Amino acid sequence: MKTVTSTLAMLALSATAALANPYAPYEGTTLVINVPSHPHYNAMMKILPEFTKQTGIEVEVDQLQYLKMRERQTLELTKSKGDYDLISYVVFSKADYVFADQLENLARYFMNPALADPAYDAEDLIDGYVQNIGVAGGFKGYLPGKTGSLFGIPYGSETSVLAYRKDIFEKHGIDVPQTYDDLLDVTCQIPQLEDGMGGMASRAASGHQASHAFLLHLAPLGGRVFDDAWEPIINNEAGVAAANALKTIVDCGPEGGTTFGPAEAAASFMQGNAAMFMDSIAFASGFEDPSRSRVAGKVGYAMHPEGVRRGSQTGGFGIGIPKNAQNKEAAFLLLQWLTSKEGDLLVAMAGGNPSRFSTYQNAALNEKYPYSATFGEALKYADPDWRPIIPTWGKINADIGTTMSKVLTEGLDPQEALDGVAARAKAIMEDAGYYVWQ
Amino acid sequence: MTTARANRFTPYLFLAPAALILAVALMYPIGYMVYASFLDWNPSQTIGEAEWVGLRNYVNLWSDAAFLESLGVTLSFTAVVVVIEMILGVGLALLLDRELRGMAVLRTLFILPMMIAPIVVGLMWRYMYHPTVGIFNRTLKSLGFEPIPWLSDGSWAFASVVIADVWQWTPFIFILSLAALQSMPRSALEAARIDGATGWQITLFIKLPLMMPVLIVTALLRLIDSFKVLEVILVLTNGGPGLSTEIMSLRISRTASEFRELGVAAAMSNYLLILLMLITMAMFTYTKIQERRTAAQRAASEEA
Repeated sequence: MKTVTSTLAMLALSATAALANPYAPYEGTTLVINVPSHPHYNAMMKILPEFTKQTGIEVEVDQLQYLKMRERQTLELTKSKGDYDLISYVVFSKADYVFADQLENLARYFMNPALADPAYDAEDLIDGYVQNIGVAGGFKGYLPGKTGSLFGIPYGSETSVLAYRKDIFEKHGIDVPQTYDDLLDVTCQIPQLEDGMGGMASRAASGHQASHAFLLHLAPLGGRVFDDAWEPIINNEAGVAAANALKTIVDCGPEGGTTFGPAEAAASFMQGNAAMFMDSIAFASGFEDPSRSRVAGKVGYAMHPEGVRRGSQTGGFGIGIPKNAQNKEAAFLLLQWLTSKEGDLLVAMAGGNPSRFSTYQNAALNEKYPYSATFGEALKYADPDWRPIIPTWGKINADIGTTMSKVLTEGLDPQEALDGVAARAKAIMEDAGYYVWQ
Repeated sequence: MTTARANRFTPYLFLAPAALILAVALMYPIGYMVYASFLDWNPSQTIGEAEWVGLRNYVNLWSDAAFLESLGVTLSFTAVVVVIEMILGVGLALLLDRELRGMAVLRTLFILPMMIAPIVVGLMWRYMYHPTVGIFNRTLKSLGFEPIPWLSDGSWAFASVVIADVWQWTPFIFILSLAALQSMPRSALEAARIDGATGWQITLFIKLPLMMPVLIVTALLRLIDSFKVLEVILVLTNGGPGLSTEIMSLRISRTASEFRELGVAAAMSNYLLILLMLITMAMFTYTKIQERRTAAQRAASEEA
């Protein structure tokens, strides 16, 4: 009799436990999510089974190359009923999607007591990333500010660090560059010291890649594309200095560098053809993988060198819920789980990029990936405004990219090139109505 | 009376499915594109939300330096590629128009490049052009020459995409020319030979004029195709360095996906369409005139 009562009591307990499980109403739901082919999201794939185990929510993943993913989403989001419940978007898609009213404002989910986890600790999320990727509607429209609101959470976001070959630097007694002057000196010393090795492998291919590479130097050297009144100032002294820096880096870089995208540049570094690589932190786990990299264990990481200020890039991806999603609540639960302290640490241990300060401090992570502490430090200087995230950016970005490619390959004068970019950017902005209030 | 009327309508009845398919599959998309070219249309909008801007897209393009450069690249690419391919293809056909052992195998080998998917062609050439590990630069280096910046210098990149296209599409001209040669009336050739014409004279005055109708159509097909080439260049250079290999179809695709201006992209496509129609019409007029002239000559010689 006693055992029966206790069994009943236990049953009753487990029944209440089941009721208290916030995931229970969504058990058996299948979420369809759209994410890029990217080291971080490959790591996410490894932890999704854990989510399903804990919550009973199934996840189906559609993984695409990130520019293709953006095209697919553009079409998908205009439909009245979308196929995707959760999307990962490239940071520069934020402007397009929010402007077209295609992303859910996350406030109503964080307000919902049945959905929001009180232990989520949003304060722990990395500031620069949240500002850059999540918030829109504040200062200049795309940055945070008093009028801003939250549309996504950074997931797989990145900043830039300098990766260098410890062995080569030690062999020749070179110090790790702290400033841009040092960096440019060292990058041109290397080819003279090491036969057949370039200074730094950088993206430089015509279009988006060359533009990205240029902007990477523009912010630390004190430049901006626009001033606060949307006047193009890309052609000021800082802009020319950034163009010259890029040209020096490519000229002293590995052979054929002017056609490199990020993958080619990383491959060149992994093959030992360049002594430095300054790009997203997302590549680090690849460098340390001995099956793909010849330089595993020989790579040191330092902060993005300082020009007139520190300003490493902010980029990568965030996750948000499309307005036309079918299972928004369950999608929010997945979003929350992935970016929670637990989920963030899991994905970081699987080789992803953390979105939380606490994850970067984690002892186990630092043991597995010794560079984590440096990355955490670099994040403090991540610049959310290193490139404007506005609807006209696609066109201006492409123009900067092709013009920069001409500077790199056809010897076009940087000042003349940037003057042209500024004039065309002004016209594009004018067309889009940016100056009507002046 | 009803039978008569029914008889009169029968042809239309039979034509109706074809007309319907034509309207749905051809006229609708083209009409859609023409309509879109008058809009300021962002891919995040549905077509109904887009703003009507009249001819603005068409007018603006003429002051867009990048578009004009891309148009220039397209025209020179097409001209260079078609001329080289025609010379090589017809030359090869003239050389191989004979009884050789294993001809069937050879012919298959020759048209192999055409059968490879363009993306693969692009990737293959991209590896061969690779600055350090590519076969071309490795060979040049081992022979003691300076490596060539195949894809990283504007003029070389243009030459590189031309080479890749010539490699892929010369066989197309070769195979059609060969077919034209082999279906040629043997009597004309024999008559020329009996009259004592040399090999060169036969080629110049008999074979080429008789092949001309086929050659014109072949050149036209290649011309239209080379105006629209996309994949190989996309993979090889993505239009760079600078805009040196940014042919029109690549520009259209970037305008639609990167710049997010569907209306402008549609206007560009329409310019391309108009250009191709003009070329096609010019070609057909030329052949018409040519035919009429031969007919007149024949009539004149018959009268005499």
